[in-house]
Amino acid sequence: MRSISKYLLLVSLLAFLGSCKEEKYLFELPEGSQTGVTFENTITENDSLNILDYLYFYNGGGLAMGDVNNDGLPDLYFSGNQVKNKLYLNKGNLKFEDITTSGGVEGNSSWNTGAVMADVNGDGLLDIYLVAVAGINGFEGHNELFINNGDNTFTERSEEFGLDISAYGTTASFFDYDLDGDLDCYVLNHAVHTEESFGRVQLRYTRNEMTGDRLMRNDGNVFTDVSEEAGIYGGINAYGLGLAVSDFNKDGFPDIYVGNDFHEDDYFYLNNGDGTFTESLRKYFGHTSRFSMGNDVADINHDGLPDLISLDMAPEDEKVLKSSEGDDTYQTLEMRTQQYGYHYQYTRNMLFLNQGDNPYTELALLSGISATDWSWSALFGDYNQDGEEDLFISNGIPKRPNDLDFIRFVSSDEIKKSINETRLVDQKALEMMPSGSVSNYVFEGNESIGFSNKTGVWIPERPSVSGATAICDLDGDGDLDIVTNNINEPASIYVNSTNDQANYLKLRFAMDAKNSFGIGTKVEAWNDGMLRYKELNPFRGWQASSEPMIHFGLGNATSVDSLKVIWPNGTYQVLSEVKTNQTLTISPENVQPYRYQKPMIDSLFRKVEGNLGINYTHKEDRHSDFDYQKLIPYSVSDRGPALAVGDLNNDGKNDVFIGGGRNQKAGLFLQNEFGYVRTNHPKIDNDSVFEDIDAVIFKPHFTDKNQLTVVSGGNRISPSLRVLSNRTYNLTDPTREVIFESGDPNNSSVERFIIENNETYSFEGSYTKPLDFGEIPLSTYSTRSGRLVDDKIGMVTDATWDDFDGDGNKDLIVVGEWMPPTFFRNNNGQLIEENLLDSPLNGLWQSIIPFDIDKDGDMDYLLGNWGMNSKFEASQEAPMMMYYDDFDENGTTETIVATEKNGAYYPLMGLNELSAQMNFLRKKFTTYESFAGKNITEIFGEEALDKATKFEVHTLASGFLRNNGDSFTFVQFPEMLQTAPITAFEKFDFDGDGSESVLAGGNYFGVIPFHGRYDSFPGAIIDSDTEFQLANKLGLDLSLRSVRHLKVIHLNNQPYLLVINNNDDAVVYEIKR
Amino acid sequence: MLLFTKLKDNLLKILPFLAVFLLLNSCQEKVTSEPVEVTSKDLQNAVDHVTGIMIHDIFSPPQASRIYVYPNIAAYEIVAQNDPGYKSLSGQIADFTPIPQTSDSLVNYPMAALIAHMDISRTLVFSEEKMKTFSDSLENIWSGKNKPVFDASKAYAMKVVDHMNQWIAKDNYAQTRTMSKFTVDIDDPSRWQPTPPAYMDGIEPHWNKIRPLVLDSAAQFKPEPPPPYSMDKNSDFYKELQEVYDVSEEITEKGDESEEIEIAQFWDCNPYVSVTRGHLMFATKKITPGAHWMGITEIACKDSESDFNKTVYAYAKSSIAMFDAFISCWDEKYRSNLIRPETLINQHIDESWKPILQTPPFPEYSSGHSVVSGAASTVLTDIFGDNFSFMDDTELPFGLPVRGFDSFEAAAAEAAVSRLYGGIHYRAAIDKGLSQGQNVGRWVVENLDMKQ
Repeated sequence: MRSISKYLLLVSLLAFLGSCKEEKYLFELPEGSQTGVTFENTITENDSLNILDYLYFYNGGGLAMGDVNNDGLPDLYFSGNQVKNKLYLNKGNLKFEDITTSGGVEGNSSWNTGAVMADVNGDGLLDIYLVAVAGINGFEGHNELFINNGDNTFTERSEEFGLDISAYGTTASFFDYDLDGDLDCYVLNHAVHTEESFGRVQLRYTRNEMTGDRLMRNDGNVFTDVSEEAGIYGGINAYGLGLAVSDFNKDGFPDIYVGNDFHEDDYFYLNNGDGTFTESLRKYFGHTSRFSMGNDVADINHDGLPDLISLDMAPEDEKVLKSSEGDDTYQTLEMRTQQYGYHYQYTRNMLFLNQGDNPYTELALLSGISATDWSWSALFGDYNQDGEEDLFISNGIPKRPNDLDFIRFVSSDEIKKSINETRLVDQKALEMMPSGSVSNYVFEGNESIGFSNKTGVWIPERPSVSGATAICDLDGDGDLDIVTNNINEPASIYVNSTNDQANYLKLRFAMDAKNSFGIGTKVEAWNDGMLRYKELNPFRGWQASSEPMIHFGLGNATSVDSLKVIWPNGTYQVLSEVKTNQTLTISPENVQPYRYQKPMIDSLFRKVEGNLGINYTHKEDRHSDFDYQKLIPYSVSDRGPALAVGDLNNDGKNDVFIGGGRNQKAGLFLQNEFGYVRTNHPKIDNDSVFEDIDAVIFKPHFTDKNQLTVVSGGNRISPSLRVLSNRTYNLTDPTREVIFESGDPNNSSVERFIIENNETYSFEGSYTKPLDFGEIPLSTYSTRSGRLVDDKIGMVTDATWDDFDGDGNKDLIVVGEWMPPTFFRNNNGQLIEENLLDSPLNGLWQSIIPFDIDKDGDMDYLLGNWGMNSKFEASQEAPMMMYYDDFDENGTTETIVATEKNGAYYPLMGLNELSAQMNFLRKKFTTYESFAGKNITEIFGEEALDKATKFEVHTLASGFLRNNGDSFTFVQFPEMLQTAPITAFEKFDFDGDGSESVLAGGNYFGVIPFHGRYDSFPGAIIDSDTEFQLANKLGLDLSLRSVRHLKVIHLNNQPYLLVINNNDDAVVYEIKR
Repeated sequence: MLLFTKLKDNLLKILPFLAVFLLLNSCQEKVTSEPVEVTSKDLQNAVDHVTGIMIHDIFSPPQASRIYVYPNIAAYEIVAQNDPGYKSLSGQIADFTPIPQTSDSLVNYPMAALIAHMDISRTLVFSEEKMKTFSDSLENIWSGKNKPVFDASKAYAMKVVDHMNQWIAKDNYAQTRTMSKFTVDIDDPSRWQPTPPAYMDGIEPHWNKIRPLVLDSAAQFKPEPPPPYSMDKNSDFYKELQEVYDVSEEITEKGDESEEIEIAQFWDCNPYVSVTRGHLMFATKKITPGAHWMGITEIACKDSESDFNKTVYAYAKSSIAMFDAFISCWDEKYRSNLIRPETLINQHIDESWKPILQTPPFPEYSSGHSVVSGAASTVLTDIFGDNFSFMDDTELPFGLPVRGFDSFEAAAAEAAVSRLYGGIHYRAAIDKGLSQGQNVGRWVVENLDMKQ
């Protein structure tokens, strides 16, 4: 077999080599001299107009595409900032003719931005709407509406239509928001006021005519500003750069996503269907991009729900990354969110997977598209026609104004007094910013949520500054071509040469209505049981509009089984057996009313009002580990609260104990026949100073009365260290309420405490030493017949006593961070550590539960890890490294985390962060340029790294250990279970089918803004090694909260699920089986 | 352009020598033995050069005070070896033991003093290369003129440097680098929090753990607490808050040409004013308060035609006072942790208000410039006398005018009140800060026995 596949590989390689003599890309880029498209958006800086005077000086022009003369070929309209706008007629064979002057579309404003084409007056001809910036910097003019006269000439009629807006425009989108049959318009404007201070979020409620976005209702070829009554914000702080319109919630009414630059939140306007919108960002998005730029919408995972990408400016290249200003500090983000009221925003691209009525799952890091440098336009499209959405991203900026050397060193030397005296920065200073001209990106999408970078394969890797981008079939060969509007360089035309290697279907719509092109029409294409869903919205791709058509790539399918066309007016029709490789123009015919339905939710779980009386809100204290240990990879003192379920008052009913945060009283809930009643217990209340991390209710071997033991954690040095001690309470004997309080002999933060079978088995797993992350604390374990063993197992997070060898007594498996799952075989009461793994398996393990996932009769173990949706990266070949030592020899240790990139290891943190802890680096690297691109050995030297204690992580994936009898093999969970750390498991027959399943929950927020916020895991039910289902499809959504415990409790024989979260409410769900 | 003109002057002076030196070197070994005179001007140039590097490297005001003081002490100690008019600081400042002596009669003490000064400066700044280029060129000239004297002086200087460095290493600076950041607590409305536009972390929250030189402890001259935080309009605190706002509005009305704004800007002394325009960010940098007073010391030395030794003495004593003043001030800053007027005015009075000066990134009370000016002016008055009038051109390189003062005290008082005009301090921080600094200065004057 092996040799055959090798042979095949060789043959295909030869075939490949033979097929192209020279390097050939999927896209060819003909020169402007060949095509006639010579438009170049040339930017000329001068002393009174540059990036200092106008913050969006480098945002570039616009690009509108569409067939203005109805010859079947899309024409091109470019807008420029300081150059004249241009309209090129497509003459076929990729030849274009400039008809700007005769067409009358040159425009009259000083500075144009977005340009779009739409049939604004509903006469079946595409008109051009040109957006302007006016009213600052001496810019004059207004948005212009060039109505198509049908003879290759246009007449500017914006005033007559009420669209002659004179403001700080970015772009516009036309769509029928009120479903009255004509096209309304959303004009996206941007703020210009300095964002030197955050200001209150309430600024967004006060309309500013120049910066506020406008919703313009079409009242019969006259547009009326209905922004205020429709609930559209228009504040002075809205840096609107991204605009996406789609029926996100699939109720038939188009919704709007607005991406705002800087600290202002993005807006997610859900259309109420009555002419108004409700801004709903926080309900659906746990976090967003920070410097939000362009965005785009497509269903990338075939579930019929539109997904969203929002671009930012995170660079991929180490040199750029480490010499550019990056994310906020932890403290600044806390202030911006907690004090000023802004939402969580992070500096990278975000990919949001639509989850219906539940919060979106953000997984750009997992998908591999999170960092594409200074990015403007995202355009989904099936560029290779394999049936999957690919992604093209344009990017680049002439000068990088966030270059750290420029900010800290270069600028000051040059600028000095000129800024104070004249408010002008001379040209020389601006020229000292490094160039940000970089290659555009193209990614190939797969059937699910993954993308692989095809830059340099599909397109040449060639630096440019590309902004407005649009897609169309320029040469009529069926595949998608791409055009970009570039700064200081002619526009690029990417001619797709997929041609007949894969099949396509192009759809145009002709509606007998004002909305003649059918904007907002949805199509479900079904083939071989696979759904491809698209909605016609050409207003995409950064200050641009694409050809108003829908394009499906279909691989080698010669026909599509069925096409369901859902018209904006809520009717639909179905076409069957549609041949591929054709362009269809579809008009409403034999339509039937379409009923938008909420996706079927199998409500296995239903939230219980009142939580059965278990009303408890855990409060994490404001202590930030990052203030004390600036370089630890994640927080370590936020792993509470504790949870214990058991009978505390010997009435035969299980009670609930929820541990408190630091200085917070624990919650003691005693069960009666109606529910749970919170009960005060003075001794427990007195111990609120402890940060309770784990608790256990158990029957000691010497009595038949249950006791409660609570163990503590935290990351503070306290004089007595009492706050780390374990406490045992007896609630039934008032004379001995506190049985003992043992100072934690290991003086460490305990993460997991287990006592089973009348103390036959006990385990106390220690996590960290206070303020010394990297020092391994002692954990202890024992069986009743064996001796107590102290062991530096690792940074322990969880463990399970389970008989993995089937010899009738319980063995121990311990998991933790920077360590492998560790097995201790119970040999007549003595616990012997054994390596039963068939490969190195250090992880950032968070949780473990025994479960026969493959139903083969032996016990497998499910393991919760960090997940793969983070900036951490690890593999067997290139493990993630952590170096632990006192690198600056000042008596305090530090940790440095490094990951592999192109064969070398780089620290995750930059010079500012590292030198804040290790001052000597400031002397070693006096510029950011000298630091950027240096690997970890170059930075610290081989000797220092050799001397340091090294930790490794080989996988970040959650998964399970398959029991092979005498060894275990690790198997990853599917990717939708890798979106965040999995911190809790619970095993139960949730659906009542007689066999147990495991519920997994997770998420975690204790990381610096560089990492973001792991908030996207909705939970999942695991039935078997092939059956995984996200919990949000079952009535349970665990996203946006940091789950610490999942526990099934019973009240009057009815099972309920108790969810305990860090720094949040406890929640009870009824299990309806 | 004083600083830079000076540098240029210096280079111009050096160049011919350099050429000669190279020429000489290219010939056979030929021992020259011109006498070399190291002047106070040379020392001033070196200090100015260090100031330039500090601006580039962006050292905060407390850090800058440390970079000034140790080289000055080294130079002073060498001078005191050879000039019976001055007494060693050993036994007078914390943990400081006598420096090594030399019996080599070739040693040129001013030269050794300056070599030690420059070498310690080099180890204290980040951009060592910038310092090395400067010292190498100077040393090459000396060595060219008289190699035996230079070699002897350098050898001695380096022995002293070793001694100094061992002492410097124990000042707890390295340990404080790794200590915790200031913890912002937004639940406490009186507590300092980061300010626009850069929202930088509070700098040097552990500076009070740096070993003071003359003070018994960082808290020795703990000022009385500021008026208790209150948003009651009749409270002293609120009145002071309102005063900051009213004064700012009033002088803004008067315009940029007003004396108050001129004063505010003259004494800004903020080493890192960040400017943000959209994605464009940059900094305008100035010298620190300590550097400004080193500049005044230089002016006083020049005006009084002080010789090399007296210049070294003046530099050493004033920088010791300022070093301790920063420790005293920073001790109070992170004790009272008081919120800045900008934060409160934006919250309670005018959300779009911006102070005339950029609020520096540390707690409000007491005012650092006031404390340091109080300390420095007291020491300079002790050295150069009361009613020493001078023209202060220290800020010329930053586009600011020359201002004249009738005494050091008058300059200090103006520096202090400039913080109110600048909108970055309440009245109490200025008044109490000034006397806190004067207390430190007097303590230094009374406890340091430096003149025979």
